[in-house]
Formats: sequence, C-alpha cells, structure tokens
Amino acid sequence: MTRRRTIRTVCPRNCYCTCGMLVTVEGDRIVEILGDPENRATEGTVCLKGLSYAERARHEDRLTSPLKRNSAGGFAPVSWGEALDEIAFRMKAIREETGPLGLLHYEGSGNHGALSGLADAFWHPFGGCTRAHGDLCWPAGLEATRLTYGDNRHNHPHLTRQSRFILLWGHNPAETNIHQWRLILEAQEKGARIAVVDPRSTDTTDLADLHLKPRPGTDGALALGMAHVILSEGLYDEEFLDRYAHGSDAYRERVTEFPPDRVAEITGLTGEEVRILAKAYASTPPALLIAGFGLQRHRHAGQAMRAVCLLPALTGNIGKPGGGWQYANLASHVLRPPPGMPPAPQGPARSFPTSRLGWNLQNLSDPPLRGAWFEKANPVSQHPRAAEVRKGLAGLELVVVVDQFLTDTARMADFVLPAKTLFEEEDLVTAYWHPYVQLRQRVWEPPPGVLTETEIWRRLCVRFGFGTGAFDTDPDERLRAILPQGREEALEELRERPIDFSDFGEVAWSDGRFLTQSGKVEFSCQEAADLWEVDPVPDYASLPEGHEGPGAAEYPLQLLTCKTRDRIHSQFGNLAMIQEVDRPRVLDIHPEDARARGLEEGDLARIWNARGVAKAPVRIHPGIRPGVVHVIEGRCVEGDPWMNLVTDDGITDMGYGATFYECLVEVGRA
Amino acid sequence: MTGFLLDLNRCVGCGACVLACRIENRLPADVSWRRILTLNARRTAGGPTYHFSLACHHCDDPPCAKGCPSGALEKRPDGIVFLHEDRCLGCRYCEMACPFGAPSYDSQKQVMTKCHLCAPRQDEGLLPACTQACPTGALRFAPDVSQVPDGFREAERVPGFSSPGGFGPNLLISPPRGGLRTPRFETLVALVLPGEGGAHG
Repeated sequence: MTRRRTIRTVCPRNCYCTCGMLVTVEGDRIVEILGDPENRATEGTVCLKGLSYAERARHEDRLTSPLKRNSAGGFAPVSWGEALDEIAFRMKAIREETGPLGLLHYEGSGNHGALSGLADAFWHPFGGCTRAHGDLCWPAGLEATRLTYGDNRHNHPHLTRQSRFILLWGHNPAETNIHQWRLILEAQEKGARIAVVDPRSTDTTDLADLHLKPRPGTDGALALGMAHVILSEGLYDEEFLDRYAHGSDAYRERVTEFPPDRVAEITGLTGEEVRILAKAYASTPPALLIAGFGLQRHRHAGQAMRAVCLLPALTGNIGKPGGGWQYANLASHVLRPPPGMPPAPQGPARSFPTSRLGWNLQNLSDPPLRGAWFEKANPVSQHPRAAEVRKGLAGLELVVVVDQFLTDTARMADFVLPAKTLFEEEDLVTAYWHPYVQLRQRVWEPPPGVLTETEIWRRLCVRFGFGTGAFDTDPDERLRAILPQGREEALEELRERPIDFSDFGEVAWSDGRFLTQSGKVEFSCQEAADLWEVDPVPDYASLPEGHEGPGAAEYPLQLLTCKTRDRIHSQFGNLAMIQEVDRPRVLDIHPEDARARGLEEGDLARIWNARGVAKAPVRIHPGIRPGVVHVIEGRCVEGDPWMNLVTDDGITDMGYGATFYECLVEVGRA
Repeated sequence: MTGFLLDLNRCVGCGACVLACRIENRLPADVSWRRILTLNARRTAGGPTYHFSLACHHCDDPPCAKGCPSGALEKRPDGIVFLHEDRCLGCRYCEMACPFGAPSYDSQKQVMTKCHLCAPRQDEGLLPACTQACPTGALRFAPDVSQVPDGFREAERVPGFSSPGGFGPNLLISPPRGGLRTPRFETLVALVLPGEGGAHG
C-alpha cells in the first residue's frame, strides 16, 4: 500500500473563509481533505469547493503543456523553450518599438499568495508596464470604512457567537461565508435575532426574523433613514458619540433629510419596515452589522457604505465583543514583498481603473497597448462589458494567459502557459475575514510540463539578461523574509497552525484609538471630500443607471449578478463533483415581471440593454423583489450565461471599484 | 439503532457531505450514496424552504435486504445495513425495494453499492466522512438515534417519515424551530414594543 501523507495547507481562493486544510495523499491521489482544526475561524471544516480539489488537482482537462495559437486558429502544444523564446522575442520588439508601457500585466484574484509579487522581479528591469488599479470586487467599501474608522479591521469571527442581533446587509453568508453562517446559527440558537437586507431571498434570508428587500442601490438612503429613527427615538449611544465622534452635528443635520416616509419612497420598503429594523438593531446590544460586497457595486457606493458603516458607531456597538462593523478584516495583510527585488523603474508608470479594461485595451494611446499578460484572471468572463474586453484582446498582437484550464480568456491567447495548482508551490496566504496568515505548504511537485509562475518569470529574466537574484533565494529564506519584520522565525510555527500577527486583539477598536485624521469616528470626513470630491457627510442620490435613471423607461429591470456557494467566479463549475450539487444557471424573475413579459418557467430568456445581450433559462422566483432579476455570475463552462455582456464598466465614487449591480435590462423570450 | 441526525435549521444544502462521501468511498461518476433534496428552492410565499441531505437510513427492518435474492445485504449487529459486493448479482431488486432510493448501481462493477456508514472509518474510530465534513454541523452521526445528543434541539422522528411500512429508518430530524424558515416580521415587532428595548440614549 502506498504511504499516506497528510499536509497542512490553505485554500487560496478569493473567498471570505480562506480555510485551513489538511490534505491527505496516497501517491499522486488525494484521498481526504479535512478542515484544519487549528484555524479558529474555520474550525475544522472546508466547504464543497475545498473538497472538490480532490478532482480539480488531477483533472483531465488541466493544461500540462504550453500552447501556441496556430494558423488554423486552434492551439498546438509547444515546448517551454519554444514558447518562452518567442514570447520574449515579441516582448522585446514591443519594448524597443513602443516602450515598456506597450505591454499590460494583469493579475487577478484567482490564486492568492505572496509570491505573486515576484512578477515585478521581471517587470521592474523590463522598465515597468501598464497596469490596472482599483479592484472589481470591494474597494468602495474598503475606502468608506478606512475613511470612517481609519482601517479595515473587525472582531475575531468567533465573537459572532456573543451577538444578540445580527444585521446582514447585502450579505448571504449561508452561501458565500459558510463558516460565518455556522457562527450566526449558534448565536441564533442562543436567542439572537437575525435581520437581512437583500432584494433576493436566499438560504440566509430563510432563517431571518426580518427580511427587507429594498431596491438595489438605495442602501445609503435606508441607512440614513435608520439613523433618523435611532436619533429621533433616542436610541443612539450619547456617551460613545461624545467621546469618539467627529462631525456628528453635520451628520445629524443630514439625517433630518431622511425621515422614514421619504426613505420608504426611495427604497420601496414601508416606513414601518424602516422603523422596525432601526429600533430592533439599536435596542438589542451587542448588535453586529455585517455588510457584503454587493451593495457597493454602483457609482455612489462609497457614500452609501459610509452611511451604512456609521450605524454601529451611532449605536455604540464599536469596540465590543458581539457587536461591531464587519466588512473586511485586513489584519493578516502584514506581509512584506519578496526579498532581493530589483529597484522599480524610474520612467513614467501608467495604469487605468480595472473595470475599464475593455475600453483601455482598445483606446490607450501614447503608447498604445500592443500586448498583454494575464495571470490568475479570466477577464472575458469576469470583467464588465465583456464584449469590449474580447474586442480589445483580439486587437492585440501578443496575448499571454497563464491558467490551469482553457478559460474564455485563455481561448483568446496567442500563448497559454499551464499554471501550477495551490498544491504545487509553498507560499504565504492572507485572508479578509479571519485574522490569520497561513502557510500554503506544498503537497507535491507540479506535474511534468507545468512550471510555477516563479519559474516562468525566472526563465523570462534569463532570456532578457536580467538578474535572477530574487528567484535564486532559498524558498524558506524567502518566505521568512516576507513575514513581518522580527517574526521571520514564525515560518516553522506556521507549519503547525495559522498565526494572527496583528496587535489589536480580538475586539477591533476596543482601545478607542481610531486611525482617522481626527483620531475619531468620522461622521463628517474632510479626507473623503478632498480625495474623492464627495460630500464630507454621507448622502444619497439615485443612481444614473438606477430605478429612476433615464434608461429605466426602456430597460425597467435591475439586474443583479450574485455569487453562490459552488463557485468562485469562473472557477470550479467545470468539475463533475461541483456539477452534481451545482445551483442552476437561471434568470430568477418575479412572477409579476414574468407574466408581464409572457415568460414561463424554462423559457430561454433574452436579457438585454444597449450594451449587449445575454441568455439564460427562466426560473419564476416569488422570492425576488419585483423589478429585480438575478443570474449567478461567472462562466465556468461553455453554455453558462454570459452576464457581463450587459454589465457596465462604470467606476465607483471612491476606491476605483466596478459597478456590476448598477445595470438596467429588459427581458423577453429568446 | 445507529443512523444520522439532520438539523433542518442548519442545513443549507451545500453538498459538502455529498462530495466528502464521494471522495472517501471513491465513487464513480454514476454512483451516488448521498444527495441533497431541496424543497421550495424558489421561496414561494407561505411555504418554508428546506434542504434534506439524504443517504441510506440503515433501517431497523431494511426492505432492501428482504428483497435481495442472493443475501448480499446484511443488517449487522451494529446497525449498519451492509452490502457485500462479492455476493451481489446486480439484479437491482434492492433499488426497487428501498423507498428512499439509497442503493446505487455501479455500471462498471455491475453490482449495487450503498452507504455503509463509513464502516471502515468507524473501525478506526473516525466519524462517517459526510458528518465530519459538514461545515454547519447540520448532519451528524448517531451511534444510537434513541439517545438525542446534547445541543441537538427538539429532535424527533418526523411524523410520516419515521417509519413508512414499518421499516424504521434511522434518520432523526430536528425540525425548524417555532416558525423559523419563514421570515417573521412579528418577532421583530414584539422585540421593539415600548418598554422592551431602549438600552441606549
């Protein structure tokens, strides 16, 4: 019998849980995947995606050779030598004729690890390159939280058990943060109340004591309306405000503009619902407010998130176990860049907001983009205005894609380079829900034909005659040097357990020392006005492409493209194990909206606006708010709905985020 | 008798149990020992939504064994309904006899297969893989379903499901707590009645 080995490692996907895993292998086969009990947030289980690595790691469709586009438009396997020689030759030509900015380096979130930083050991001596800034996912909420509290941190997850009221705002942890959901269930079993704000019905809303379904994009008004009730009914924490609030007078004045009846008109809720939610939240301490990322995917997202994230401060729930504001916890984001990196180039840098990828691929000038390198990314599926992304890629003379599978983006490449899996290179992984840095220990070598990205960059450096010092470091020494200064020796401990390197303890802000410019919680924030040209006080305005926007007459339905438990964006859905339990890729539409359009269950629907057309089968869904339609995002396989053909490439008011959920459509039978 | 416990308040139908079973027992693609049944996935008003994670219930008096012409199915003293693949003819009578669709035909081996409560794991002192993997603690293993474990609230055999035909399936279900699973505005209204709130200000 082959020897069994169990290796402690971590799931590096773009997901709240970032589970610690114990992977048991026999020869080249995974025989068991368990959660790491040493991770005090994920507590010994992984989700179905983590389990599916048993299939994914050795999937028959996995790429194990570089591919080169041939004259017939297909791909032919080529050797690494041939692929990298030609890629280097063409990159050199672009650099000589156009300059280094003629090339784009784009890195997505497909596989988290600190060694990603080694790409710059190539790009720095190359002279730089064009990049994208901002993020498709969460930056407006991050920036809103930073401006308000000074940093993105929150209580240790296990303190959720002590909450007496949990308000889940645009958040669906039963599907997207299963370990948080377990904690919420335990709090509920001890008597905690749960309220959910979400235009959809989900596995999370099933257990809610109260479920409000506002119009998408009106969360800022709802938060200000709740504040109106809390202030006028005397349910705020006066002592907390006296000690820790900056600018609360201006905020109080703004709040008077949002009485519940006006908020009811804006949000489509009733005034009674607004009052009940506000009173219940404010009068049941400790109350925990957890916001998802969905409510900040529109043009006024930052101001809305500022309004929402002030409610815990208004009610004195900050700095208390069981209370707090949870959006993202960056406590583990303490790692340093890899050692031995060559200096950054002196020449001009260039970048564009990432949501505008399609436009920039086609329209950047002086110099124009001629080539692009994509890794850990599938923008043809995941970027808004996907048709423009495709058009942009088709117009480039060199597209290199590094991936494990032939994704929608890889299919458009000139060269596809096979990528390692999480099991094939040791790396350090941070999280954004729990505070732990975890060591992604190597389970086995990459299979024949696959190189790590580290090795790909090293070989390119050799071809360009660049120094390879950053790559020649001993791998353990390199990881030690990436750990926080003075904690280098913790690498050995990381082989045994996750480590929280942060120094603020389990209760965020318990010291009352906020890292804002005023040192207090900023109800009015001059920095927000200076940086982003917004009102210093959170406000609400209806969205340009919202329910009152000029496009609403022609395209009256608001489209949401949310996440689910089975997939991370365009990953996992190609696996048979996942397909067995997958959620249907359907258009959820309210019976009233379906009836008005003559749509019946199972009809293939056409979902369109001026930007494009997508298709998905109809599922009549009484649980969704009328006027709102929903399709799960991400194209994992041919035939999955391609929703980013209709989404817009707007930019959020702060943080350079994307505006996926500010999207009007009309729907009809295909 | 030995069996499973399922807490309907906790199960979100994620399927981790299905995958863990498949990995542990190396099931081919056309074989499934555990599956998820979701009722009211589209949340029709007035009806709650439930997810059931279902496998073999290791009945007290298993109809599958009664219907087996080759004696391949055994109700073991420890309660596990065990299928001896080497004695199986592949006639699929047990599939017809089981009211829960638990036995699953392996077309490659041309025999029936089914959940054995991870008997080999139990021999090593380990939990069945499905229960070990459940991220919410909804699905649990019960060495004796008549002994309701701590923390498993209001557990009961659900009427109508408890014993069709007198087989005595050993699945214990914790039904939804009073009215949960239908969002309840009234509970919040009660919570904020004058005099019951107002901790601040």
